[in-house]
Amino acid sequence: MNAPIIDPLQGDFPEVIEEYLEHGVIKCVAFNHRGSLLAAGCADGSCVIWDFETRGIAKELRDNDCAAAITSVSWSKYGHRLLVSAADKSLTLWDVSTGEKIARTTLQQTPLHARLNPGLTSPSLCLACPLSSAPMIVDFEIGCTTLLPVYVPEMMPDVLLAPQQRSKCSESGPPFSPAAACFNKCGDLVYVGNAKGEILIVDYKSVKVLALVPVSGGSAVKNIVFSRNGKYLLTNSHDRIIRIYENLLPAKDVLRSLEDLGKNVDGGVDGVEKLKAVGSKCLTLFREFQDLVTKMHWKAPCFSGDGEWVVGGSACKGEHKIYIWDRAGHLVKILEGPKEALIDLAWHPVHPVIVSVSLTGLVYIWAKDYTENWSAFAPDFKELEENEEYVEREDEFDLMPETGKVKVSSVNEDEEVDIETVEKDAFSDSDMSVEELRYLPAEPIPDTNEEQDELKLIEARISASPASEEAGQNGHVADHTPSPLGEMGETRGKRKRKPSEKAMELQAEKAKSSKASGRTVREKSRAVGDQEIVDSVNGDDEDDVDAYY
Amino acid sequence: MAEEVPAAAASSYIPYVHSQTLTPHAHAVSSVKFSPDGRLLASASGDQTIRTYSINPNDGVNPIAEPAQVFSGHDSGISDVAFSSDARFIVSASDDKTLKLWDAETGSPIKTLRGHTNYVFCATFNPQSNMVASGSFDETVRIWDVTTGKCLKVLPAHSDPVTAVDFNRDGSLIVSSSYDGLCRVWDSGTGHCVKTLMDDEKNPPVSFVRFSPNGKFILVGTLDNTLRLWNISSAKYIKTYSGHANSQYSVSSAFSVTNGKRIVSGSEDKCVYMWELNSRKLLQKLEGHTEPVMSVACHPTENMIASGSLDKSIRIWAQKK
Repeated sequence: MNAPIIDPLQGDFPEVIEEYLEHGVIKCVAFNHRGSLLAAGCADGSCVIWDFETRGIAKELRDNDCAAAITSVSWSKYGHRLLVSAADKSLTLWDVSTGEKIARTTLQQTPLHARLNPGLTSPSLCLACPLSSAPMIVDFEIGCTTLLPVYVPEMMPDVLLAPQQRSKCSESGPPFSPAAACFNKCGDLVYVGNAKGEILIVDYKSVKVLALVPVSGGSAVKNIVFSRNGKYLLTNSHDRIIRIYENLLPAKDVLRSLEDLGKNVDGGVDGVEKLKAVGSKCLTLFREFQDLVTKMHWKAPCFSGDGEWVVGGSACKGEHKIYIWDRAGHLVKILEGPKEALIDLAWHPVHPVIVSVSLTGLVYIWAKDYTENWSAFAPDFKELEENEEYVEREDEFDLMPETGKVKVSSVNEDEEVDIETVEKDAFSDSDMSVEELRYLPAEPIPDTNEEQDELKLIEARISASPASEEAGQNGHVADHTPSPLGEMGETRGKRKRKPSEKAMELQAEKAKSSKASGRTVREKSRAVGDQEIVDSVNGDDEDDVDAYY
Repeated sequence: MAEEVPAAAASSYIPYVHSQTLTPHAHAVSSVKFSPDGRLLASASGDQTIRTYSINPNDGVNPIAEPAQVFSGHDSGISDVAFSSDARFIVSASDDKTLKLWDAETGSPIKTLRGHTNYVFCATFNPQSNMVASGSFDETVRIWDVTTGKCLKVLPAHSDPVTAVDFNRDGSLIVSSSYDGLCRVWDSGTGHCVKTLMDDEKNPPVSFVRFSPNGKFILVGTLDNTLRLWNISSAKYIKTYSGHANSQYSVSSAFSVTNGKRIVSGSEDKCVYMWELNSRKLLQKLEGHTEPVMSVACHPTENMIASGSLDKSIRIWAQKK
């Protein structure tokens, strides 16, 4: 709605650290769908949710059972639930608005990464990637975990089915390399990246591998992430290359399309080859990003909210570098922060803001370095990119006394005006049937009595007039500090010698003074000329005003 | 008590009639507001108190408004009052240079927001109600955090007292008006000025401004007895409403959308004026006050108008049943 007014020419990635947030030692962060709330997990097992607009803490989720460091936080699609995985092998599901724990389950291993199903409104289904076993689907309602296949053995003619229901999966392959996995946009498929450098597209309901995409280079996949609109997939591999794939599958009805693809593949091909053929129709390699100079490992790569930019953090200890590429592959910016290792990164879904977590537990907020748009302050000011030669009209500077500038109002006032219809929000997804939790209601913290008195004393001390110390006598602070600007202020300040005489002085002053000042509450009259306003002290001044006017 | 101005196309217009007068205040009433859910009405006055009234449906028998709470604590008269979106909190702007947050149900003060260096003239919550914007005679607009009471931003808004502030529908923009003749639109997240709107030739002091329900237009009241509807993106005004008197005080106006699109405004000639939005025809003049009408408010769902005046009274007008 305000898109037409706000300047579209400003670039869309952050440049400097604007602020930092602190709350214990933060380990991981996640934005909600709109970016209005930021959830962060701490080293002491608690979670804190910040209201990102006011940068104040909106809620704290503390579980007494859990005192181990949080390894990941994940929001549900509409922001009602938060999934938290911790180092004590537990997964906890919280209800955000009430701050209550909905469910908690303990796994066999510590989950490094846990994600709620993005397709469901109140998901109780999540994907957990443990430290040293296959990714699993955890269903809180039924209370079972389902291991997902990570490898497709070469020899088997049929697709491998992983054993189910709480048993350890006996798969081949090195047991200790964690596989990365993520849901697709609507949550019906899981994309698993394994240690052999392959992406498996798995239907988690039937626990079947539907397609296979080999990642060039064949090195282990460390992270796998979808862009917000589901069109692009990013993999971060052990060979220090970030790869972007384009998702060729349609947004809806993905399972059916995959089935159709499976059928359309040539009859002679079978088993693994068939999966690869299907896979080649699901994802195509789009771009590769790497730093050829330093060959560094990447940490926490992700897309920007609109998918236009890719951001990755440098995994080197002792430096806090964030690389930003555009989707065409060009490195556009390297953000350098304080010399602390980076452990997590998130791009705001809507604004050009990045949030990075450093090893010390601070959350840095990177935003654009704003240069004031001076043309906004003057209504008819137009900013030019370069000098324009101005050629004046023949009669521009002629004096024409008769023709006064009668500007005929060329406004067609009879046009219909619509003050009510609102355009659809650019950022809302297709179906907004469920009420999104965008904000947590603000609870003002009551002022304590000590704070009140303290503030009043500070005010008294700050005020310019020398007599302010005695103000306390009257039981309340008589603020007679005029605004610092303007000539009148000082003369008035000098006149006020003692607060006890102040009321009388004010009366006398008003009787003498011919300058109208817009100080009264009731009349709200226009300030004529003089801006310096004698501060009102107490209610009985209002009677004086009657006489004054 | 209500006089109907004959108009050709007004055959379907059901006039508003005076329903109730409340005179609880000891001094002039500066501002009246309905809560977003329509259950409460709040009035602010120069007698340093705010009062709330619970609103009952207009059944023609029982009084519509019943006094509910009194909020005292300010050291000077109050210029403006506003409800939070869930009607749990009230913010008041006072001549004692502070704003106060109150609990609407119990009437107890919760927080005092200090920072302005001169009278605070206007205040409003954002739709999310986690921030409060206030305009003051110190020529700035301040944005406050409701939870902590900290001043988040100080906008160097104008070069004269700021007379009105309003948030748009999603809270992303703030509009402010001032006696310097300008209306400025600000991005509430960054605090940067997005647009300035000004009437080129005459430049009269702007006494009031408000966003339209969809945030695309602003209703601007100026001290030359005129109300204008401006289109923000084109920075041009598209409607003018006149006939009322407004050359001295900061008289407020409102959009009435419950029963056809209308503009309602107070006036210095002691009446409440109502125009049809698109045709700009004067539909009705509500008479009854004995002093200039400073503030009007429209109920969000019912066809009800409340007006506050310098004669210390608040009048409720509803449609004849």
